[in-house]
Amino acid sequence: MLTMKNLSKIYCTHLIETHALRGFDIEVREGEFVAVTGPSGSGKTTFLNIAGLLEDFSDGDFLFDGASVRGLGDDARSRLRNQKIGFIFQGFNLIPDLNLFDNVEVPLRYRGFNAQERKRRIELSLERVGLSSRMKHYPAELSGGQQQRVAIARALAGEPRLLLADEPTGNLDTAMARGVMELLEEINSQGTTIVMVTHDAELAQRAQRNVHIIDGQVSDFDRNISLLRPRAAAVAIPA
Amino acid sequence: MWNYYFKLGLMSLRRNPILTSLMVLILGFGVGASMTAYTVMHVLGGDPIPHKSGKMFVPQLDTGSAEDYKAGDEPDLQLGYLDTDAMLRARHGSNRTAVYGIAPIVDAQRKDLPPSGEAGLAMTRGFFEMFELPFRFGGPWNAAEDDAGSDVVVIGRVLSEKLFGAEDPSGRSVRLADRDYRIVGVLDLWRPVPRYYRLLSGSSPTESEQVMVPFRNAISREWRNDGWTNCNGSSPDEPGFAGFLKRECNWIQYWVQLNDAAAVAEYRDYLAAHLAQQRKLGRFKRPDNIRLRDVREWLAFNDVVDADTRLQTYLAFGFLLVCIVNVVGLLLAKFTARSGEIGVRRALGATRGNIISQYLVETVVIGLAGALLGLALSYAGLLVVDHYSFESAGIAKHDPWMVAATVAVAIVSAVLAGLLPTWRAALQVPALQLKSQ
Repeated sequence: MLTMKNLSKIYCTHLIETHALRGFDIEVREGEFVAVTGPSGSGKTTFLNIAGLLEDFSDGDFLFDGASVRGLGDDARSRLRNQKIGFIFQGFNLIPDLNLFDNVEVPLRYRGFNAQERKRRIELSLERVGLSSRMKHYPAELSGGQQQRVAIARALAGEPRLLLADEPTGNLDTAMARGVMELLEEINSQGTTIVMVTHDAELAQRAQRNVHIIDGQVSDFDRNISLLRPRAAAVAIPA
Repeated sequence: MWNYYFKLGLMSLRRNPILTSLMVLILGFGVGASMTAYTVMHVLGGDPIPHKSGKMFVPQLDTGSAEDYKAGDEPDLQLGYLDTDAMLRARHGSNRTAVYGIAPIVDAQRKDLPPSGEAGLAMTRGFFEMFELPFRFGGPWNAAEDDAGSDVVVIGRVLSEKLFGAEDPSGRSVRLADRDYRIVGVLDLWRPVPRYYRLLSGSSPTESEQVMVPFRNAISREWRNDGWTNCNGSSPDEPGFAGFLKRECNWIQYWVQLNDAAAVAEYRDYLAAHLAQQRKLGRFKRPDNIRLRDVREWLAFNDVVDADTRLQTYLAFGFLLVCIVNVVGLLLAKFTARSGEIGVRRALGATRGNIISQYLVETVVIGLAGALLGLALSYAGLLVVDHYSFESAGIAKHDPWMVAATVAVAIVSAVLAGLLPTWRAALQVPALQLKSQ
């Protein structure tokens, strides 16, 4: 699904160059649930942004779904994001003026689905996260856990093959975090690849595989091929 | 997708009502001021008779004295009686009229209506047809009455209603300067803007002239011109009105209708022949300097839209520009505050084009609201102009084209104001916005 080889990302200002990622290698296979951990500033979010085609990289190779994304134009990247990737953010990032129905509708609008198809998908995804009865509510009327469920529904509505989650439980209490995690596990069990950045070691343990990033490099991997999920194959990570 | 953007635009109006109201107000004031000024200029400078303006001409002959002659000098704008009389008799062109201003005392011979001076015109009957005057009752006097200068009159609707109420007064008499005139027709309301048929009038009546008598009747009654008269000293000063008619004084506005280029050329030849003949009689000391201007050329030459009006319009559009710059600042603030939403939309698959379209449509929605306010303000502005400006009193009105132009100006202004903020919004790197949400 994702292959990065010798990838680097350098942020340049007129004074300094910051190497956010250097010699970064990783492979995420179809159907995996990978937890990415590491200290603050290690490059986790940069990796996630590049994986989600939200940011370009400076050097190296990046194959998404078997095809190189180097040199892809803005429109092509937007299309790929829209069709194949779902995002879940720590801060939920729902649009406050739109009700749940309209929030979930956003990616479907850009996909070009007709009204009937949009409605079907929105109802299905909100039902999947247990919020179908609150379609006309606004984000501010929901708890944090419910908002994150809406964000998950929005990510799922386009039936993406890859779900990128950036600390999805970071703003939630333990009970809500557990509920969101269970939902992500369920989604993964239905075949969606998930890459989740987290600080929470307990949550990371529940993923099939952990990738630890330090100073912009993968420092440790394959430490925790989960025995809870025997269907996941061991993944070879390039050295 | 466009109706989706429009819906988002409408929702966005409610998002930050104070900022939005401020933008709509600024835009509305800018549009209102500029369109008020432009409407006045447009009305004053418009073509009053578009289907015929290229066929109606004012002839000018250079009757000045030889002493102060300078080559290329502009001939006088009106004609003297001698030339007018000759040109009327020659009947060149497909139609023609001579017109000058009169101010007869109208006596209704009623105790409740004291005699009053009315603005009027002395003209040949060609005037009615050439300038397409609308009749409410009756019609123009006939050719025989025109030639004979009979005591007949066409009155305006305002005077007719004042004297006779709503009834048709055709055939009845009205007393003009102590003589009875038979009313042959009553005009409907007629007030062309600008008053192109006689730009050189002495005063600008707020209503059109209410009394119209045959040119030869006014001459025979020795009614002097109520307007601009220009005499030069090269002719002998004979006493009385008869002497005045023979003097080189220019005071009559002459119009001729020439339907094609051949007719124009032929008319020039006629005028040249007339000059040559008159020269033999000792008139016309200067070389031929014939001018023939059609309606549009005549209005432009006479600066119907004066420099002040133009300057006002330029200043008003300058004000609109300042308003647009202000709206740019407010839109930048508004769109920057929504960078998080832009990041989310980009992450969820919106292209830069989608973002640009969405935000431009949003500015169009603001433009539409500004257009409504601008229309209301420009209506109010025109009422003020109507009240305080003598020159354009009662004439500066919105027509459908001006309403459409106001809406278009508002929308274009809003889109112009939105270009930079929208472009900056579209260039945002989504990754930066998502983490900071």
